[in-house]
Amino acid sequence: MDLAAAVLLQAVAGVATLLIVSLGLAVIFGMMRVINLAHGEFLMLGGYATVLSVRAGASVWLGILVIAPAVVGAVGFVVERLLIRHLYGRMVDTMLATWGLSLALIGGVTMLFGDSVSGFSAPFGSVPIGRFRISGYSLFLIAMAGVLVLGTWLVLRFTRAGLIARGTMQNPDVAATLGVSPARVYAVTFTAGAALSGLAGGLIAPVSGVLPTMGTAYIAKAFITVITGGAAILAGTLSASALLGTVSTVATFLTTPVFGEVVLLIVAIVLLRLLPRGITGRFLRRAL
Amino acid sequence: MAGPQTLARRQAPRDRAWMASGAAVLLGVVAAVVLPQVLELFALINATVFVSMAVLALSLALVWGFGGILCFGQAAFFGLGGYAYAVAALNFSDTTFAVPVALLVATAAAAVLGYIMFFGRISDVYVGVITLTVTLILFNFANSTAGDEWRIGAAPLGGFNGIPSTPLLNVPGEPGAGLAPEAIFRIAVIALAICYAIARLVLRSRFGRVVVAIKENELRAELLGYDVRLYKLGVFSIGGCMAGLAGVLFANCVFVSPTMFSLSYSAQVIIWVMVGGLGTLVGPILGCILLQMLTTWAGTLRDINPNVILGVILMAVVLAVPRGLLPSGIALLARFRRGPPR
Amino acid sequence: MTPLLETRAVSMRFGGVLAVDQVSLRVDEGELRCLIGPNGAGKSTFFKCLTGQLKPSGGRIFWRGRDITGADSFAIARLGIGIKTQVPALFDGLTVRESVVLALRRTHREAAAQARAMATLERLAIAGLAERQVGLLAHGERQLVELAMVVAPEPELIILDEPTAGMSAEETARTGTLIRELNRRHAVIVVEHDMQFIRSIARIVTVFHHGRVLMEDVVERVLADPRVRDVYLGKSAEPAGAPVPCHNTAPA
Repeated sequence: MDLAAAVLLQAVAGVATLLIVSLGLAVIFGMMRVINLAHGEFLMLGGYATVLSVRAGASVWLGILVIAPAVVGAVGFVVERLLIRHLYGRMVDTMLATWGLSLALIGGVTMLFGDSVSGFSAPFGSVPIGRFRISGYSLFLIAMAGVLVLGTWLVLRFTRAGLIARGTMQNPDVAATLGVSPARVYAVTFTAGAALSGLAGGLIAPVSGVLPTMGTAYIAKAFITVITGGAAILAGTLSASALLGTVSTVATFLTTPVFGEVVLLIVAIVLLRLLPRGITGRFLRRAL
Repeated sequence: MAGPQTLARRQAPRDRAWMASGAAVLLGVVAAVVLPQVLELFALINATVFVSMAVLALSLALVWGFGGILCFGQAAFFGLGGYAYAVAALNFSDTTFAVPVALLVATAAAAVLGYIMFFGRISDVYVGVITLTVTLILFNFANSTAGDEWRIGAAPLGGFNGIPSTPLLNVPGEPGAGLAPEAIFRIAVIALAICYAIARLVLRSRFGRVVVAIKENELRAELLGYDVRLYKLGVFSIGGCMAGLAGVLFANCVFVSPTMFSLSYSAQVIIWVMVGGLGTLVGPILGCILLQMLTTWAGTLRDINPNVILGVILMAVVLAVPRGLLPSGIALLARFRRGPPR
Repeated sequence: MTPLLETRAVSMRFGGVLAVDQVSLRVDEGELRCLIGPNGAGKSTFFKCLTGQLKPSGGRIFWRGRDITGADSFAIARLGIGIKTQVPALFDGLTVRESVVLALRRTHREAAAQARAMATLERLAIAGLAERQVGLLAHGERQLVELAMVVAPEPELIILDEPTAGMSAEETARTGTLIRELNRRHAVIVVEHDMQFIRSIARIVTVFHHGRVLMEDVVERVLADPRVRDVYLGKSAEPAGAPVPCHNTAPA
């Protein structure tokens, strides 16, 4: 019984992590059809922002929840202005340019900070579940995932910005008719997506360790989760994370972490073969 | 109507392909003879690596530039070719069997993956995702094969260390006598030349022209009665075979390891093709060799990380020269030739 | 007599929208049929069901009595059905001649394909464009190139979706003549919008409205029918020059 609960919580934590890590990418892809291959590096920058601010004396919570998203949001704004803006509609070119950006960021951070692992230990210690213990931080991540999903849903559903965003997603001319320039919508969206990625980076920093290449471990999974999820930002990411995250955790539990990864990837391929437009390309199509 | 003028015009493109192929093979032979005399050993081995990468670049140039298939995972077939070669060579003492086995494995893998994708009508971005994913799976898998229980016949897979004792090619019939680096370089260069020739001729054949048409407009090709799935499968398999050959060559100048499946190689191939010129065969070869030389040089720099250079180049190329260096260079040259406006 | 092409209660549903609703029609060998209807009436969707671009949600399609419902586009093309899409589907990077040769190359060897390609280009009076790159041609020229690709393999049935879109008056007239000439040897289905053009070529017309067949009759009776006029905003069905009352009865 305890084992079941512990495994279940592990699985949910795995889903939560996948969701947190994918949400920023989903916002950018779902809204702008831009595939940002530097997403992993946005995570990485968020991690570094957190670690550095903690080292400079700030509280961990300030670092993760405020500084990381602010810094990476700013980076995202600059990137959108200088790079992405020129490549709208050119999906392949955007992928390549952001891949270049990813390489440059990894190289740049390596130059500045070396490639050793930094980090800080996860707060909250461990929590007992019957005979087993589960890390309190995992529970925190689950809670944060919930907060992020709720927050994103509230913004999309109830704010004017969210309405414009949803409209632009369906049809870029909507923004213009509502009196907002599409360019501005895209700039804000990309910045928001980057900020979410920065936040995610801060959140996973204690778990994964912060090093220049930390993003590369997540980019593939995030990418696959977003594509498998399909066009709807929340419903897609939620359903894909739930499915892939659960499968992966169970596989990891039964075999090894490497096979957990492999199983996740295989399930994603099968899913894409069956549902070529992602999960929300077929089900839940009206969802946010 | 089919007079000498039209006949001559009709033959020209076919002749051009044969001429280019012949020239390539000739150039390859010349390079194979001359360069080993000129270069010292270390440079020669480096050059062999560059050439094997050029074959990899050529494979993607064909599949992406002419087939329109954005494959993020040529590295998968590259690695599979390398590993299959090493495993076969360790199991049979003569490497003469290992080479066709490696090519067969790489081609079969491409055929299976291609079938899953193209007959599932998956296209564009999703092909990129799936091929990337498969490469990642292989990378993860290869990394986890440390330990003695992971062996195929006499060949341990070696986990993240790979197979350091990858046997070198031997003269057919004389197992155990691995070829010298000069000979391996020669084989690599000739292989590149032959691959180029084959690519040119394939593109000139009816099959190749349909493939290019599919890239231009898949719907129209299908409405003309062509089963586009088969053609895409075909060109994808040929690309996989070439990538496998590149893996065999690589195995002979470096050694087989999971890095062959890494994201880094997948990225670099795409960069070479893009920078060199998507839609040409020569461009990616040149782009590959140039960029590798650049990266090697950048690796010797103390202050700048080579990734930064590569990344900046890629961004600059996409923004400024999206068609790639070779096509833009040709266009620029054409402008010079036309001279100033009268 | 077995009809050449027959659909029985073909429907196409997209989520909540029923774009094509139980359309049954039959086209006989050598017939010239026009499908007309205002925008949104479902003609183009129906067209895509015929060409295999869409698999119908309901109903069946028969070719010479054989059930071909849900067949792939290439299989349908191989039956001898030539298809010209609304937005010209062309090989922009190839020359005109290369494009037409490709249309023939599946069933002919190189020399024969080249010869027939040139013959087709001459038949359509665009032989002068043979070496031009398709992507650089004007819109009307592109339509003719696409027609050349469709016509070259001598299909039994030719389906054209708005063949005169974007054409000049002269090109439209040429196309009309061409379609009538084609009809001497092939059955033709034309999906169109332009009433003048319909009047010049049509015999039997099927009128679409809200995804259903409103009526099917000879062109004179159709054009005189008040329901058809309502459906069309009254505009195109009037003889040229008459004032146009603006009553908005067309579907949104």
